[in-house]
Amino acid sequence: MSTNSTTIYIHAQQNVELQSDDVYVKDIGKLTCGDTHILAKAKAVKLHHFKQGEPKRQVISLLKVIEEINKVCPEASVESIGEPAVMVEYIDVNKHKGPLQWIKLVFVAAVSFFGTAFTIMAFHNDIGINDVFTKIYEMVMGQPGDGYGILELAYSTGLAIGIIVFFNHIGGRRITKDPTPIEVEMRVYETDVNKALIETADREGKTMDVN
Amino acid sequence: MIFIKQIFLAVIGVSSGLIVSAGVFTVLISVGLIPRFAGKMHVARRIFVLEEMVVFGTLFGGFFSIFSDWGMIGAFVRGHNLFGSEATEGVWNLLGMLFLLIFGTFAGIFVGCLALAIAEMLNTIPIFARRIGFRHGLGIAILAVALGKLTGSLIYFTQRVFLYGG
Repeated sequence: MSTNSTTIYIHAQQNVELQSDDVYVKDIGKLTCGDTHILAKAKAVKLHHFKQGEPKRQVISLLKVIEEINKVCPEASVESIGEPAVMVEYIDVNKHKGPLQWIKLVFVAAVSFFGTAFTIMAFHNDIGINDVFTKIYEMVMGQPGDGYGILELAYSTGLAIGIIVFFNHIGGRRITKDPTPIEVEMRVYETDVNKALIETADREGKTMDVN
Repeated sequence: MIFIKQIFLAVIGVSSGLIVSAGVFTVLISVGLIPRFAGKMHVARRIFVLEEMVVFGTLFGGFFSIFSDWGMIGAFVRGHNLFGSEATEGVWNLLGMLFLLIFGTFAGIFVGCLALAIAEMLNTIPIFARRIGFRHGLGIAILAVALGKLTGSLIYFTQRVFLYGG
């Protein structure tokens, strides 16, 4: 028991966003320890301070974190069960609110709307969809059709159902509880960006690491 | 018999619609364009809105390209003089130009991003940069790509390349 209780387990996250300019151990992930006194001391270890005018992003190696904790709690051993490095970002709260955010949203929404509208129109134009439909109609019915028929209507319905099933929601309501493909892709993209930033910082020697 | 044939046509239509939407969107999703927009603009919390826009954009585009004869809004407005017999011409010229401007700008942005995202998905730029030992000036290379696309697009439309086809 005596050795177990003084092990601090630290589960660091890959990326954390902070709203204060001081970075403490408790900010970079979750910690646990048998001894609550040591745990409290370890959590309050200060790792970094974002100065005015400095880059708002800092990669901290877990080795550095362990070293800092050991300085304060020499009797405890520290085990990392999370990421080997954590990226800390200082977020100015005010910058992420207000009308600018709405303008950006409208902009991205407009790009998504008109972009996909254009894409599908270009695709239909590319394959000459009306010619294909006329051909199929003639083949099946044995005579040319007049105007738009069941085929066009059914195709459009199918297109709509396909998209809605694919994206898994309509009018802000989910159909099943699964995350939507864009939400999944968003997480993948975030992880990729974090990894790239951490590796770049490492290569440029900007990581806070042990010497 | 006619009825059975109609049902057959309906089945063909629905199935092709389903598969086309799955195909088109798998490409769109795997390129990861919209997460990038959201990430860059810090609107990831509102990703639902963006997905809805993708859905409605496609339905909008799909309708106007399949039922193009029913989508002649301009001719309808002019034919029925919706803004009064004298003002319609001017008002609709303005509104139409405005819509075309918006549509063109945003569709252009989207296609530009899509083209580069697809190029990047195939890792052309990193591989090429590594092969020729290219370390600095990636920004200039990207700018050159953008200017090349702009020039190509302008030549395409001004010289009427589309008339000669591929």
